[in-house]
Amino acid sequence: MTGTLRQPGSARERWLVAGPPLAYLIVFFALPTLLMVVASFRLAGEFGGLAPLRSESGGWNLSLDSYGRFFASSLYLQLFVKSFLYALVTTAICLALAYPLAWLIAHSAKRYRDLLLLLVILPFWSNFLIRVYAWMIILGPDWALARTLNAVLGLVGIGPVTLMFSPFAVIVVLVYVHLPFMVLPLYANLEKHDPTLLDAARDLGAGAWQRFRHITWPLSLPGVFAGSALVFIPAFGIFAVPDLVGGTDGIMIGNVIKQQFLEARDWPFGSVLSIVLTAAALVLTGLAALAARPRRSAA
Amino acid sequence: MTALFPRAMFAAVFCTVLLVGCGKKEEAPPPPKAAPAEAKAEARPTGTLNLYNWNDYIAPETVERFEKEFNAKIAQTYFSDNEEMLAKLAAGATGYDIIVPTSNALEVLIKKGDLQPLDHSKLPNLKNMKPEFLDTSFDPGNKFSVPYAYSTTVIGYNDKRMKAAGLDPRGFEVLFDPKIACKVKGHITVLDSPDEVFSAAFIYLGIDPNTTNNDDYKKAADTIRKAKPCWAAFNSSSYIKEMSAGNMWLALGYSVDFFQANRDAAAAKRDFKVVSVIPSQGAVLSVDNMVIHKSAPNPALAHAFINFMMEGQNAAELSNLIGSGNANAAAMEFIKPEVKANVSVFPDAEAMKKLHQLRFLPAEQRQERGRLWTEVKVR
Amino acid sequence: MNRTAPRWVWTSALAAYLFLYLPLLVVVVFSFNDSKLNAEWVGFTTAWYARLFRNNEMLIAARNSLLIALTASLVSTVLGTMAGFALHKYRMRVLPVLVVAPIAIPEILMGVALLMFYVMLNLTLGLVSITLSHIAFCIGYVALVVRARLAGMDESLVEAARDCGATPLEAFRYVTFPLILPGVIAGSLMAFTLSIDDFVITFFTAGASASTLPLQIYSMVKIAVTPEVNAISTLLLILTLLLITVAARVAPGLLRMND
Repeated sequence: MTGTLRQPGSARERWLVAGPPLAYLIVFFALPTLLMVVASFRLAGEFGGLAPLRSESGGWNLSLDSYGRFFASSLYLQLFVKSFLYALVTTAICLALAYPLAWLIAHSAKRYRDLLLLLVILPFWSNFLIRVYAWMIILGPDWALARTLNAVLGLVGIGPVTLMFSPFAVIVVLVYVHLPFMVLPLYANLEKHDPTLLDAARDLGAGAWQRFRHITWPLSLPGVFAGSALVFIPAFGIFAVPDLVGGTDGIMIGNVIKQQFLEARDWPFGSVLSIVLTAAALVLTGLAALAARPRRSAA
Repeated sequence: MTALFPRAMFAAVFCTVLLVGCGKKEEAPPPPKAAPAEAKAEARPTGTLNLYNWNDYIAPETVERFEKEFNAKIAQTYFSDNEEMLAKLAAGATGYDIIVPTSNALEVLIKKGDLQPLDHSKLPNLKNMKPEFLDTSFDPGNKFSVPYAYSTTVIGYNDKRMKAAGLDPRGFEVLFDPKIACKVKGHITVLDSPDEVFSAAFIYLGIDPNTTNNDDYKKAADTIRKAKPCWAAFNSSSYIKEMSAGNMWLALGYSVDFFQANRDAAAAKRDFKVVSVIPSQGAVLSVDNMVIHKSAPNPALAHAFINFMMEGQNAAELSNLIGSGNANAAAMEFIKPEVKANVSVFPDAEAMKKLHQLRFLPAEQRQERGRLWTEVKVR
Repeated sequence: MNRTAPRWVWTSALAAYLFLYLPLLVVVVFSFNDSKLNAEWVGFTTAWYARLFRNNEMLIAARNSLLIALTASLVSTVLGTMAGFALHKYRMRVLPVLVVAPIAIPEILMGVALLMFYVMLNLTLGLVSITLSHIAFCIGYVALVVRARLAGMDESLVEAARDCGATPLEAFRYVTFPLILPGVIAGSLMAFTLSIDDFVITFFTAGASASTLPLQIYSMVKIAVTPEVNAISTLLLILTLLLITVAARVAPGLLRMND
């Protein structure tokens, strides 16, 4: 089985199918981004923004200074590593929470599946800020969660712990905010698994865990990869969540980038950090894609 | 594949051309035709006013009254930080008539040449303003701006909790001296703004907040870093709620915010008050001003708005609503007594002397301070 | 097929649903809270809903948000499905990067870049500019989900169709597309969610008079996000639920997220 779907297809077909999204992304993504890539080599404007490309003397206002500043201090690398870890933990927890849920929905009776899926995404049509504020209430010191936790800790003699403005709060909210983006791709993939494969395996004596490990999990890898990408990448660069619920140490690389465009009025440096962030995310995604190549042997 | 790319580029260019054509046709609210004032002697300015203002920085009654009086409409856009507004303008956003920048942002806009000069003949109510707020070094002769309202960056505290902890929160040492601050560890927030926190540290250390000396920055950064473990968070928005809910007991924040927090706490029938004081060492004063952007679609209505806001009653409504300081002498009689009595809103002469207004900071110092700010937050 | 799931899968799924709905419950309950603070329960009132209906700005912002989200999710679903298909079938070099990069690029950078770009093109900033920006970052989400779906698909069905004489287009329309429809719908749901909730990019590309719900709510952030916001969130939820229920009744199978 050579997988005839992978035939290149006629050039006309490729142009028709790939052309429109390619064109759209070039105009509304690549070109604006190019502006900012160039900006990373430019100088900051005296009052913010960017300095004009040509200086009064007729030379070019370009330099590698901003890149130099990035590599000069270990500060930014530290932040990248920290953000990477936060994103990784978030992705792992999302995966652990989402997989059983997606599996259950995929294997529910047909008439319930739509509803169950909608129920997953419904909370996310309310506003982001209001959901975070709700978490601030739930994690706040007056509520059941913190109260019971502190009561339990108090028994052991540990002082009262605040859940808010802490790494714990950041992770909880990060997981919450990204969960549907793990559930949906997983579901889309799991729903299509051929049940006869599992039946056959069972008939041959494979236990539940073995069926999962050798059949379900490998077949679900593309979904796992898609979901992980859609959680890890945004979580890597997010700034809103650490801003709102992070403590004094809660800063992530996204916050520093935001700072460059706002308080520091240093757009070139902000561009440099953004380029490094995007490149890191793309590289990591590429590596994960290689690891998640679906095996063709199932057919 | 290689044949695809040039064709995609062609399609991209084609789409762009289409869009530019489409873009010109799409219009937001129809651009107001400022009634040609030359044509008729008494032509009233009308149409739509695009106001780019701080969140919750104008009373709804004032907006309604203006709209009725001029048969106009105010379209409001908001920002919560000068830097947001400056970043948007720096990227080229236009379409705003009136913007309300703080004095140091005003300096930037003037230097950039983004504003149009005010026609004082259209602003007879200028005479209502308090003289000490006019003709400042930020904008000599009020060529481009007129003061709108002001607030101070002060210390706010939960009176009950401070008494219980035996702390006197009327000076910056309660925030920056770890021995004192850590007595209420985890219940302190400071603004998430390098401008404000560095300035507070400078004032605490007895340094002029507008210093451009890099050593001063390092000293201030050290002070902040030492005090940071006692603080719960850097927070500029929800600290009001946290104060009135009683979760946070001490904060560096704006006088208008503490005014709000106290009102909310009283409405929720809390057993404490949120009090704000100007620290003994001094504080930052932020004066916000009305300016007209150079690309304003409706300058005539913009002038009318500025003049309208300088009327005593209209200016007073904001003070009564959010407890902001008022630069308008004619407004004083319309302001509620409890607002007038609030010393952090209307400081007395002694306190006024200790207030500093922040000035424009050159790029090099901004970068250095930005780097130190990141360091303080990370390490 | 063993359709009875082990107990722990049930509990774990239930826990996940609880996790998803706890904050939402807080949002809905607090929309009836008789306190401006949104911090603790004081008493029951429907006053916030009344205030909401007099708050013209908020209602217009909500309408704009819905319009933009519907348009953006529609267009990005079409383009994203095409992209996902292309990524799966053809060996493409540029498209994979262009699809994933908008997800990776910090929103603030994209927002500033798009604003500068629109200004260069002299494009009037408003609802259109916002929608165009949203489509750009939604395409990737749809594409990745569709591609994941295609990867798990049984290709022999398409081969069989081609062997029976179907053209590539017919094969796509009658075989591939129905099979990937759940993935397409999942992607479009994500795109809708992303668009209706986007703040940063919308902030920069909105211009002087267009307002969306996230912008409006953000503008209230300082004065304590009042329960009016809870109220409109609750209403939006109910509205979308109603829309979907009606759609499902009127056109059963329209939603066909499973087959």
